[in-house]
Amino acid sequence: MKRMIAFVLACLMVLPLFGCGSKAEEIDLTNASWEEILDTARGTTVIFYGWGGDENRNNWLNTTVAQYVKENYDITLEVVGMNIDDILAKLSGEKQACASSGSIDMIWINGENFYSAKENGLLWGPFTDKLPNMAAYIDLEDPETLNDFCMPIEGFEAPYAKAQMVMYADTAVTPDLPGSSEELMAFCQANPGKVTYPALPDFTGSAFVRNIIYEICGWEQFQTMAADYDTVKAAIEPALEYLRQLNPYLWNEGKTFPDSSTTLDAMFSDGELVMNMSYSPFTVASGIADGIYTETTQTFVFDNGTIGNTNYMAIAYNSPNKAGAMVVINAIISGQIQLTQYAQLRELPVVATGKLSAEELAAFESVDLGKGILSQAELLSHRLPEMPASLVPIIEQIWLNEVVGK
Amino acid sequence: MRKQRTVFLLLLPFLAVTALVLVSVWNVLVQSFGYIPAFGLTQPTLSYYKAVFTNPDFLSALRVSLKIALWSAALACILGVALSMALIRLKKTRGRAVYLVRFPILIPHAVVAVFMIQLFSQTGLLARAGYALGLVEDYTRFPQLLYTPGYGGTIAAYLWKEIPFVAYFVLAFMGSISDSLGQAAENLGASSARSFWEVTLPLSIPVIARAFLIIFIFAFGGYELPLLLGATMPKALPVQAYLAYMNPDLRQRPLAMAMNGVILLLSILMSAAYWYLVRRASRRMEGSA
Repeated sequence: MKRMIAFVLACLMVLPLFGCGSKAEEIDLTNASWEEILDTARGTTVIFYGWGGDENRNNWLNTTVAQYVKENYDITLEVVGMNIDDILAKLSGEKQACASSGSIDMIWINGENFYSAKENGLLWGPFTDKLPNMAAYIDLEDPETLNDFCMPIEGFEAPYAKAQMVMYADTAVTPDLPGSSEELMAFCQANPGKVTYPALPDFTGSAFVRNIIYEICGWEQFQTMAADYDTVKAAIEPALEYLRQLNPYLWNEGKTFPDSSTTLDAMFSDGELVMNMSYSPFTVASGIADGIYTETTQTFVFDNGTIGNTNYMAIAYNSPNKAGAMVVINAIISGQIQLTQYAQLRELPVVATGKLSAEELAAFESVDLGKGILSQAELLSHRLPEMPASLVPIIEQIWLNEVVGK
Repeated sequence: MRKQRTVFLLLLPFLAVTALVLVSVWNVLVQSFGYIPAFGLTQPTLSYYKAVFTNPDFLSALRVSLKIALWSAALACILGVALSMALIRLKKTRGRAVYLVRFPILIPHAVVAVFMIQLFSQTGLLARAGYALGLVEDYTRFPQLLYTPGYGGTIAAYLWKEIPFVAYFVLAFMGSISDSLGQAAENLGASSARSFWEVTLPLSIPVIARAFLIIFIFAFGGYELPLLLGATMPKALPVQAYLAYMNPDLRQRPLAMAMNGVILLLSILMSAAYWYLVRRASRRMEGSA
């Protein structure tokens, strides 16, 4: 008995010592033509992992996109909702377990997660040069096509949708909306305890703090800044001072911050807060249409602009169906699917206006997004680039050390 | 020989589960020493443990978790024993009263957190009632009871569940002591208070200590209550460790694992204390039999 247990234990101990065996690819995708890729993909299933917190997006993927790829390419699209942290944890677990054929084909990803996943070999590529719709619809010289949070993309992900930080408030409660960080300070002083932002590292809270940093320290210097705690802290010190001065007027006097943007949304709908924020620029239109927000709710941005980014689709390093994933990604960046994303989900499209046909352009322009929002042109003229991905976790740590409860 | 095989087969499901747990524990330990070849980390080192113990966030998280565990366990034991004695005095050691006591034990912790938020947050029932009665002029004036760095809300939520747990855990044992030796003391002229303080309580200490340790270990490693009811800073240790685990920089993974290593070590120490208590108690039983 004892010997058997000892044997089991001994087996366990050597487990992590085994290296990874490699497995040959079914077809050589890097040299395959698009027709060969389409052929390989026909009749397969593609599993798409991504954040699943948006019911509208899940619906759109499961109906519009799934039908499109089924009818045109005979591909079955399966969508799995999961937070990106968990997706990467799952993927890195597969890598440690040497799973050469994984459970994930496509991933919805961007920013520091893309940076880390690419650095650690969790993504497959480059592949975007294979997709016909990249050249047909996407501006290949656009900095957001070339870099994701200043990190070179190098063909490892294709654009999915554009996002931009916006803030919003009910003009029936607070008629004057702040257009700068000074006005935001006055706004908080006039509404003590009724403004806050989600605790970092929440995605939205983190973007809001970066926006405040841009307001106070400018944005240019961060594009090339070294990812070093002390360098970043010295550079953002004036913004930290501003955030500390803001604290006494925030919810719970800035001693605590709500744990997520979801909590913030609930508090805003409840009237516990008078201002909310989002990285989805047209969210107010959806909220008004769904009856969650009042008709007088209005979106606003700072006069100096707000941070915008693009989110992307990548392919897992161990995807069992890379050809299928490429076909689905190619379909999603087409003018037709981007139009449905714009009309149904109210997301900024990634297609270049100059590459659209007159017909397609007219279709985009005829979309009525709803009330309480800023136009696409207004947003894009107030758009600032994201910071390098490697600075983001550092700023989140500095915020925890220097702002909360100070 | 055949008998041995039967025993082994019967144990197999348990061994399989234990093996899985051991693999995870082993992985945590290996990674905490900075050995993750998949991310290009191949040099085993103690530096992550050193880093953890010089990290102020970790140290304050450790303090927070020890504080939550200590207060929850101590208060739950005192109030739970009081509840148990009340039930014994009222002769309600079985039936409906006991079912009522058992009820909170069955409620999941996450649900308790929702109760707490519904009741005590600034837009909760109490705040709304206070506003309706004109006691508070605005909800922001209602005292902030949750999300405080003192973790009072988390401890209160643990107490709501663990006081009944202690009462239920010690009820049978204290009841039998009180009915036999306690009764004997009273027959010999001791007051009921004296029989409680000098007979029933001292004899029940081993059982109470076990309840204390169970709650302590649980609250020390508990994730959901401090996450949902706690402050942004400092965080409880399991919350901090999860955050480190979720760091997008995968090369920070060993740091998270070192935190888990510390949680593991402390839990093992406390389990050893529990085992020691149980063994001593059962020896005593044998001795007195």
